[in-house]
Amino acid sequence: MKMMMGSSFPEEVLEHVFSFIERDKDRNAISTVCQSWYEIERWSRRRVFVGNCYAVSPLILIKRFPDVRCLELKGKPHFADFNLVPEGWGAYVSPWIAAASTAYPWLEEIRLKRMVISDDSLELISKSFKNFKVLVLSSCEGFSTEGLAAIAANCRNLRELDLRESEVEDLNQSSGHWLSHFPDNYTSLVSLNIACLNSEVSFTALERLVGRCPNLRTLRLNRAVPLDRLAILLRRAPQLVELGTGEASDLRPDVFSNLSGAFSGCKELKSLSGFWDVAPGYLPVVYPICPRLTSLNLSYAATIQSSDLIKLVSQCHNLQKLWVLDYIEDLGLEALAASCKDLRELRVFPSEPFGAEPNVLLTEQGLVSVSEGCPKLHSVLYFCRQMSNDALRTIARNRPNMTRFRLCIIEPRTPDYLNHQSLDVGFGAIVEHCKDLRRLSLSGLLTDRVFEYIGTYGKKLEMLSVAFAGDSDLGLHHVLSGCENLRKLEIRDCPFGDKALLANAAKLETMRSLWMSSCSVSFGACKLLGQKMPRLNVEVIDERGPPGSRPESCPVEKLYIYRTISGQRFDMPGFVWTKDENSALGLS
Amino acid sequence: MGIKSEQHSSASSIDSSSDPSAAGASSSSTDLRLGLSISSSYYNDLFPTPTTTTRVQPLSWPPIRSILRSAHLDKALDHKQASLFIKIYMEGIPIGRKLNLFAQDGYDSLIATIAHMFPTTVLCPGADRVHSDKYHVLTYEDKEGDWMMVGDVPWEMFLNNVKRLKITRADSFDRAMAFLKLINGGPLPLGTNS
Repeated sequence: MKMMMGSSFPEEVLEHVFSFIERDKDRNAISTVCQSWYEIERWSRRRVFVGNCYAVSPLILIKRFPDVRCLELKGKPHFADFNLVPEGWGAYVSPWIAAASTAYPWLEEIRLKRMVISDDSLELISKSFKNFKVLVLSSCEGFSTEGLAAIAANCRNLRELDLRESEVEDLNQSSGHWLSHFPDNYTSLVSLNIACLNSEVSFTALERLVGRCPNLRTLRLNRAVPLDRLAILLRRAPQLVELGTGEASDLRPDVFSNLSGAFSGCKELKSLSGFWDVAPGYLPVVYPICPRLTSLNLSYAATIQSSDLIKLVSQCHNLQKLWVLDYIEDLGLEALAASCKDLRELRVFPSEPFGAEPNVLLTEQGLVSVSEGCPKLHSVLYFCRQMSNDALRTIARNRPNMTRFRLCIIEPRTPDYLNHQSLDVGFGAIVEHCKDLRRLSLSGLLTDRVFEYIGTYGKKLEMLSVAFAGDSDLGLHHVLSGCENLRKLEIRDCPFGDKALLANAAKLETMRSLWMSSCSVSFGACKLLGQKMPRLNVEVIDERGPPGSRPESCPVEKLYIYRTISGQRFDMPGFVWTKDENSALGLS
Repeated sequence: MGIKSEQHSSASSIDSSSDPSAAGASSSSTDLRLGLSISSSYYNDLFPTPTTTTRVQPLSWPPIRSILRSAHLDKALDHKQASLFIKIYMEGIPIGRKLNLFAQDGYDSLIATIAHMFPTTVLCPGADRVHSDKYHVLTYEDKEGDWMMVGDVPWEMFLNNVKRLKITRADSFDRAMAFLKLINGGPLPLGTNS
């Protein structure tokens, strides 16, 4: 029956129909209908997303999808962001670039996250793909401004270069001049994000580049570009929609008036970021554009205090996204709740994350206010020092539309500050009321009960982060057995061990990955799991030496488990151990 | 292959952010091991007395991206905090490594640590310099972007100014110094290596 449906249309018609279907999930579904749909789909697939670069090999990918134009890869585990993954762990992109350079001459986009990319790979990209348009390196490392110079020099059709949060080296003296490698007749740039660069860029090269690219919409500068130069760029590119400024420390009247004029000329600006160490006196230059702003990232503006932030956000009536330091305090969040009815995403970062005592008046109340005042709020990342179950219940009832809720109470295992109870029922209320919750991060004092709530209610949960929580294997078991849609689970410093892991071995194959560090998993269980589940890579990260040489009861340092169809990876460093302990570099 | 066994583990103790020994140097009175050696009895005690003075604060907590972390570095320094991670490179080795400067007592311990991380002999600051390509010297980039010789200022001042470290061949460093003397009439500040 299925075969008949497939063959009742000419292939060209089906291919045309398929071209309107973009979501990976839908394309995957199409490919499982029948053999002929599978074939048509794989030849017409132009975008591929690989959530874990070790889950499949470049060769398998190329064999299945011969004509890819956009390739998106992710590498290291998410906890790498917080220094939990040792240097040299892996996620090298070079095999992918090498394979793509011969198989996909028409590749247009490469988007990488948490991967290591060398200058050689950047050069290969710049020379292999004739119509290359988009390079996004998110939290990547291993490359320098020399590699960027190759991209600039050779990618004539480049539209987007985005280095968000990458670590870029600039070891040679001419590092700032890579921008001048864009040819004089190059005009196609739409988006440039160099906010992460440490070194100064050549301002003349930047000015000329900005001036000759009429379609430039996004420009995110690094902190080395001084504010007095910004006015020159803004006058060159009044069409900008997204702007990230550089450092702005000393307030000078001439710079102020110059900037005011330049900003008022930018009629399209909707997004602002940067403002490293901005002198608060400069803020009025953006007041005229505040009503238009939909996105504001002030998480580097460590100099703006509550009163200035209140004045600013009170004018941003159309704000949808706000990232800010906790200097905003409860009062500022109250003002936000009163003024910004369209707010969807809020992130509040700590200004003194390592201090023992609070330096600002930011409590659970700020978040409660926003949950009451902003009906569209659905994504939250909130660092604070006190929380209560009452507050969490209120937030849950106020915002059942929440899809991403990440709460970090800075001191581990902090109980409800009102009654010194665990925060189980508070987070329980979040998972119970927010039916569409996809991402959740827990903190504070939590017992196994919270995981029972999560397993019972978190049916759409896709990613869960846990730290310093739970009291036995039962906690992990509730999550693994209950959360049907769980794809990523990351756990640190929790007493979860072998039993829960082995009892839910089959579940792990349905997930992208599981990270456990400073938990209670034994090396024996890891080996057993690896043997039992051949399509799982069970990798122990232990920098103290072979985990097998320690007593069986001694838990492994870190554990990273992921499903794969390409078997053991070939680039494991000496501190990664698998069930075939002897084949790891260590014992050779 | 030389980074296995003893050598490797000593290097990793300053590399690994969750390693308690890395933090020990800065706050020796705090038992940071608590978070790593969990006993089940601890978890049975669900309501620890709020008067407890022991703080369990591993270096990778709270979970803040490194880019935001580095924005806070100046402040962290003021507060004598647990870690100051910078990158260290060696000429000819493409990938750098991370090093917690707060885990070092001074220049001597820095040199000793580096000796475990990279396969070379680094000349101590102030030592008589041997003109040989077998030796390396340690340079650092300061906040102004100039490359300086490690050891040129007191340790505390160095902590305030250093952005990253680089191990340079002694002979190429000397050539650069000579060149700069020629054009500037003085050795410092030093540009990048020639």
